[in-house]
Amino acid sequence: MCTAQKRNAHPNTRSTQNQDSLLHPQTGRPDSAVLCLSVLLLLAGCVVSLLAGKYPLTLGRLLAGDAMQRQVLLTLRIPRTLMAVLGGFALGAAGFVFQTVFRNPLAAPDMIGVSSGASAGAAFAILFLPASAAAVTLSAFAGGLLAVGIALGLASAAGGYGSGLNLRRHPHRHTRRTAPAGGSGSIVLAGIAVHSLAQTVLMILKLTSDPERQLASIEYWIMGSLNAITLSRIPFYCAVCAAGLTGLFLLHRQIILLSVDESEARMLGVPVGRMRLLILLLATLVVASVISVTGVISFIGLLAPHIARLLMRDNRLHTLTLSGLLGGVLLTTADILARTAAASELPVSIFTSLLGAPFLLYLIISGNGGEGHVR
Amino acid sequence: MSDRSSLFQENPRSIQVSAYGGSAPAAEAPVCLQVSSLSAGYGRAQILKNVSFCAKQGEITGLLGPNGCGKTTLLRALCRQLPFTGSCLLNGLSLEQMTSRQLARQISYIPQRSGIAISMPVTDVVLMGFNPVLGLLEQPSRAQKEKAHEALRAVGMEAYAEQDYQILSEGQKQLCILARTIVEDASLLLLDEPESSLDFPHRHRIMELLTGIIRGQDTTRADGGTLSEDTPGKQTVSSGKAALVTLHDPQLALESCSRLVLLKDGVCTAILHPAADSLPDMEASLSEIYGPIRLRALEENGRRSLILLPRG
Repeated sequence: MCTAQKRNAHPNTRSTQNQDSLLHPQTGRPDSAVLCLSVLLLLAGCVVSLLAGKYPLTLGRLLAGDAMQRQVLLTLRIPRTLMAVLGGFALGAAGFVFQTVFRNPLAAPDMIGVSSGASAGAAFAILFLPASAAAVTLSAFAGGLLAVGIALGLASAAGGYGSGLNLRRHPHRHTRRTAPAGGSGSIVLAGIAVHSLAQTVLMILKLTSDPERQLASIEYWIMGSLNAITLSRIPFYCAVCAAGLTGLFLLHRQIILLSVDESEARMLGVPVGRMRLLILLLATLVVASVISVTGVISFIGLLAPHIARLLMRDNRLHTLTLSGLLGGVLLTTADILARTAAASELPVSIFTSLLGAPFLLYLIISGNGGEGHVR
Repeated sequence: MSDRSSLFQENPRSIQVSAYGGSAPAAEAPVCLQVSSLSAGYGRAQILKNVSFCAKQGEITGLLGPNGCGKTTLLRALCRQLPFTGSCLLNGLSLEQMTSRQLARQISYIPQRSGIAISMPVTDVVLMGFNPVLGLLEQPSRAQKEKAHEALRAVGMEAYAEQDYQILSEGQKQLCILARTIVEDASLLLLDEPESSLDFPHRHRIMELLTGIIRGQDTTRADGGTLSEDTPGKQTVSSGKAALVTLHDPQLALESCSRLVLLKDGVCTAILHPAADSLPDMEASLSEIYGPIRLRALEENGRRSLILLPRG
């Protein structure tokens, strides 16, 4: 049977069989089982993350009431594991959103400048603000939001409907100016410009920094780590992240509609510009709240959605959920490796990149990287 | 040469038999879309110049003309995606007065190729058609999902309901989009060269289904049979819908459209009624936009088909 025949083979039998069952209509696997398996993986990762590290914990000694073990568990391991799970979930889910909205399988949060803005913000705090983790976190958060704000503002100024901020009416009664000159293309271009600008600012800040301490701190922050997570640092950012994620899950149907060609989506009743702006802001909020605490973590947002789509073969709500769960699994695993692979703790991005770079190459070689098809 | 001015007038003789079965609605069918002195373009380049025509309920109106004559520009202007001057009334309401959501409820737009770029089941593609009536956070109801399945059944795509839209052929994709149009239930359907990427059977199937939707025939028959099986000459109730279709194939346009708006260089050169106008009149008008052609009528089983041939 030729490829075309196979592709368009009448799927009646399989579809009928699976329609009323819990089986996935295409993979034949139960969707819920895939989700349950990923939850179990995440739970297993959490257990290992709570116990593994330079100071290994054991269940026996914890149950026996060892004060030191309990102290390490409560002050270090629980916040760190919580951040790994939530951060990974957030980056995975946000990656799904960026790839879908931009219809680009290689889209990532930094596409509109959030990571580079946060990096510049963190570097600014390391150089000019009183030395405290809270100041760096807050400054990184503000930097990320500022960068995205500038990018969306530029896209709006350049492209009318592109960000939904600019709906001009011609003074003539029967004339309406509605040309969608902007769209996702102008947002991406504006994002590239802001990314470059933030990188320049970062370079200038690095040049003016003290090479002994400040430069090392900046570089370490950029490489990302969950080393310095404490319970007191995360509640605000977790709340912001959870609120953003809730919004994204509620707006899932709109996210899918934004993946359709702009003019077609508009004729389906989607306020494309305003909706894209809202969804990008929510996704940015989610990403900024994570990386402001952890530093830049690469590839999770690229990797997790692709694995989820390979397993689910669609972009429904369960695929968004699975993207988040797999993001949590990946970051938890990378964090465990970062603190156990060498004598001293390594930046977590080393391990996420080790996992992500080969996958990126696979995408490019297999031809899924440049077609705009988010499969 | 015939009196060309008569070609711009609405023809009263419109009880006719079309190639796709079912009689055309009565001449008194209400006007769905009234376009008056429409001019539109891109930036300073004016593509359409003072175009006027109407599309009536229960009729398919075709837009014919060579590449670059302004067919797609006209559709984009009606979708309010381009600035325009002039007046466009949809069921008596000005397009400019409508909100985007109202416009989406009133107009269903079918592009040459759908811009769906991600994998999703065919059912989800059809369910998108309910978006104009759904709240921001609202999900399609069970009844709407049932309607989506009925629409897929009507276009013969029910078996593909859970199939990935991306792996369908272009013809199957167009059928899915047509199913989406059925659930949208809009009063005006705008189709931009729906036949351009389709093979011979699919392009006729699409036009056949479109005729069924516009003429208010039962598009949700459980057997999923083709709509052309309807008895020729059977009176049908108008659905209250109208279609405006840009077509590259004049043969297909002559077979399937009740009315043809001919465009050349952004100007409306004639309005034809293929089943009622005389062959010399239509031949002259079509020759003006396509160059020298011959038009012949072929009678078969009580149906008149028009055949377009190059003059030579």
